[in-house]
Amino acid sequence: MGITIRQATINDIQAMQNANLHNLPENYQLKYYMYHILSWPQASFVATTYDEVEGFGDEEEQDEDNLKQPIACDPKGDSAYISKGEKIVGYVLGKMEDDPEAEDKTPHGHITSLSVMRTYRRMGLAEKLMRQSLYAMCESFGAQYVSLHVRKSNRAALHLYRDSLAFKVTTIEKSYYQDGEDAYAMKLELKLEELVPSKARQVIEDDLSKDLLEGL
Amino acid sequence: MVVKKAAPIFANKEDSNFREALKLYDAKQYKKALKLVETNLKKNANHAESLALKGCANYQLGHKDEAEPYILKAVGKGPDNYLVNHLAGIYYRSVENYPEAAKWLKAANDNGSPNKPILRDLSFMQTQIRDYKNLKDSRQQFLEHQPGYRANWTAVAIAHHLNKDYASAVSTLTKIEGIIKDHLTDADAYEQSECVLYKNSIIAEAGDYAQALKVLDEDEDQIRDQLSFLEYKAKYLMLLGSKKEASLIYRTLLKRNPDNMHYYNLLEASLETLDKPIEFRLKLYERLASFYPRSDPPKFLPLTFVPASSPLFEAKAREYIIPQLTKGVPATFVNVKPLYKDQKKLKVIESIVVDFYNKEASESSNPTIKLWTTYFLAQHYLYLNNLTKASEHIDAALKHSPTLVELYIIKARILKHEGKILEASEVMDQGRKLDLQDRFINSKTTKYLLRANKVNEAIDCISLFTKLDEDAVNGCKDLHVMQCNWVLVESAEAYSRMYKDFEVKLEELRKAGPAEGEEESFKELENDLIENIEIYKGLSLKRFQAVVKIFKIFFNDQYDFHSYCMRRGTPRDYVETLKWEDKIHATPIYTRVLKGLSEFYFDIHESLATKKTEEEPVVIKKNNKKLKKLQAQATKKRAELISKVESEKEDADPLGAKLLQDLTNDKDIIERLFELFKPLIQEGSGLILTWETLYRIYLIQGKYVLALQAIKSLNKILNPYGSENKFKTIGKKVVELSETSKNDDNANAAIVKVIEKGLISAFPDFENGNILEVYTQ
Ligand SMILES: CC(C)(COP(=O)(O)OP(=O)(O)OC[C@H]1O[C@@H](n2cnc3c(N)ncnc32)[C@H](O)[C@@H]1OP(=O)(O)O)[C@@H](O)C(=O)NCCC(=O)NCCS
Repeated sequence: MGITIRQATINDIQAMQNANLHNLPENYQLKYYMYHILSWPQASFVATTYDEVEGFGDEEEQDEDNLKQPIACDPKGDSAYISKGEKIVGYVLGKMEDDPEAEDKTPHGHITSLSVMRTYRRMGLAEKLMRQSLYAMCESFGAQYVSLHVRKSNRAALHLYRDSLAFKVTTIEKSYYQDGEDAYAMKLELKLEELVPSKARQVIEDDLSKDLLEGL
Repeated sequence: MVVKKAAPIFANKEDSNFREALKLYDAKQYKKALKLVETNLKKNANHAESLALKGCANYQLGHKDEAEPYILKAVGKGPDNYLVNHLAGIYYRSVENYPEAAKWLKAANDNGSPNKPILRDLSFMQTQIRDYKNLKDSRQQFLEHQPGYRANWTAVAIAHHLNKDYASAVSTLTKIEGIIKDHLTDADAYEQSECVLYKNSIIAEAGDYAQALKVLDEDEDQIRDQLSFLEYKAKYLMLLGSKKEASLIYRTLLKRNPDNMHYYNLLEASLETLDKPIEFRLKLYERLASFYPRSDPPKFLPLTFVPASSPLFEAKAREYIIPQLTKGVPATFVNVKPLYKDQKKLKVIESIVVDFYNKEASESSNPTIKLWTTYFLAQHYLYLNNLTKASEHIDAALKHSPTLVELYIIKARILKHEGKILEASEVMDQGRKLDLQDRFINSKTTKYLLRANKVNEAIDCISLFTKLDEDAVNGCKDLHVMQCNWVLVESAEAYSRMYKDFEVKLEELRKAGPAEGEEESFKELENDLIENIEIYKGLSLKRFQAVVKIFKIFFNDQYDFHSYCMRRGTPRDYVETLKWEDKIHATPIYTRVLKGLSEFYFDIHESLATKKTEEEPVVIKKNNKKLKKLQAQATKKRAELISKVESEKEDADPLGAKLLQDLTNDKDIIERLFELFKPLIQEGSGLILTWETLYRIYLIQGKYVLALQAIKSLNKILNPYGSENKFKTIGKKVVELSETSKNDDNANAAIVKVIEKGLISAFPDFENGNILEVYTQ
């Protein structure tokens, strides 16, 4: 099996935390991930991949063994793995704004965190994860827009949000990050019909009117 | 706690004092409350309520050792007094002793406390300790007290569900739906949607798919979460045999998410194309790829079902790989890697890429195409463990593009496979310096430094991305706070390698003995080594234990959700969370820690068993001045080390020395190890580690029947499909168990016989006396 994108479940949160700790300086305790899943179960997604061979240690150590006949062994002692052979390589952690102090009372979503392991970057996973999350927030929670923060210097993320997903910069928040870097606050208006993930840049649509096997 | 209505009648001065004290306690005026109950106790040392409140107040005031004795005394004097019961419950809840807390809160309720919120607290305890049987009653009683909240109905339904009483769960949910139907506002819509889906999932779990489907359709307009709606519906249709209809739903699901591999498999199942000729299936995937050109599964999946022997595989693999190489997708190799478990596919892919490398890539005017192809081949040869070829390719790529971080990652990995761990960490660090903003490459460098036993350097490296508290020299504490388990485990393992290295050095030193006239420096060296062994041993234990602690937090984290999820209206994911918590001890990092700890514990156990005389570090006589200087140096060195490795502010045992000491002095260290592994009997029954370790534990403890069971469980895991492979490790254990039990003078003769019989019946080769020759795999 190759890469799959699906909704995150509670079983994924340890590996999501692990990916976050590998990729970003803004980290959270596991309870915060639980809080996301148990408050907005529809809003978070993961990208996973399968490699069939397992054992203790991690990824790289196993390579030699791949050639041998697989005999029974325990899953890898690596928190990227969520079950035998399935590991998380990217995630988006999404929520609805729930701060009672927030000025704007229109329901809107927020991206808490997004990252993809470097070895799996630049193949569209982040964009796909985002599109799933945006669609779900809009559908399940009636989010009218979604907001997020991004480091001024983060070219990859900026490209993703602004160019691929059409977010707009609303403000610059001075010294938003721990280390003093400024953040762009960004925002995207959501309209359910326009959000269907498969319609992004799509040419031919499966309108379900035909028998899928006809003429094969 | 609040005593509202119907407080008991206070007959005397003590009781009214106590009532006053309770008020003060509730207002967090612990000192005043304590004073008041103390006057009471002066008059009547047996006043149970006062004793209990004194225990609680002491706890709140930080006199933690002086809390439980009073609680115990109080419940001794007034076991049926609901106020005492309640206070005991409160105390045990604060110290997170949930079984005791549940016991006393239940007693308070059973003894007639009018305080209904006790029931809610009780239900949290009962959930926490998985006492679902009693949970049902406390949730139900609380619902009767407060039927006006949907949350309380949901809570009762969940309790029934957890007891697998599906009918009651569904009827509870249906009932409240009916009551609330005409009062729903927009703000309730999400909760309504979740509860309706929860009800539906229970109907299905009970096995009545037809009913589930019917109710699902009836409830459709209440459901916001269309993803669940569609997934449920498709599943039910499949289970009910309406495949055609299901296929339309899977197509709808694909429109929502064309990157979910499972939908394609399910779509094929519903279309019944899985046994159709390959050519036919390929056409189906071509059609799907035309709908979803940006998605990977319709391109990748054919590579999994077309056999390597078919020329179509070659064509499809080429179609998949070459565009990625041409576009320069760094992940091309990891994308095809899952196919490599089929040797023949590996060969075909190899020849496609080598061919492309020799021809098109080399001839192309765009040099980056060749670069990415070279990068692919380096990973390919690394996979094959052909390190020479892998090196050649990665070096060529690096020569071409010395600023591409990805190349350094692979180069470092190749070096690591060559056993050049230090060099590998240096190469990774070179890569890191090319992209200082990226935490991923920083993490990799940190990991490689840890593998090279350079713990301080590693922590300095990762500290570039951690939160730095004031006056902290590095991010070690933040790594603990943020539960960065991977670093903690890697550190523990590094420290463990380090102390073992020092042990080897010490042994060598002692073997060589001091040279003539060098006795003093020999002793110094020896002491130095002994000290290092102690320090790194302690640190290793400390880091392993840090993860154990974090997992205790993970388990306790669920507590707040026992009420939150009912109010929030997320019962489906809540129930999943309970199940997840029930097996967190079998998750990868934790089992890796357990493995590390088990080696630790067994080592200590063995060294205690074989220890002759205590090796006191020898005191070296020196003139005072020199000694003082040395001591000052040592103290300074220690302080420096501590500032680097402290896991929390003002850590009382920063080097784990006390942990190690306690463990070494523990008479029953093997029992301690058993306690660590106990959860795995349930949660990790499918793990080799579980039974390997439990076998050793039981053997040491002389629990031979359990040891026999452990061998059998292990054998079952090693032979997953009922195969009858004969593994060396099993054969050895069979012989070892038999001999150990026979040679054990304390063993009951009948038991020894049982073991012998049990071994023969499970492993017939044992009877023939040649098990070690037969079990060789
Ligand atoms: C930001 C990040 C999530 C992007 O992940 P990804 O899976 O590589 O992104 P995608 O492949 O979906 O790329 C989306 C777009 O961004 C572009 N992009 C990705 N990485 C880029 C980079 N380093 N520089 C410039 N553009 C980049 C892609 O080309 C693509 O653009 P396109 O739509 O024009 O083709 C990933 O780089 C990452 O995890 N970084 C570290 C963590 C982080 O910064 N998270 C964001 C915090 S707000």
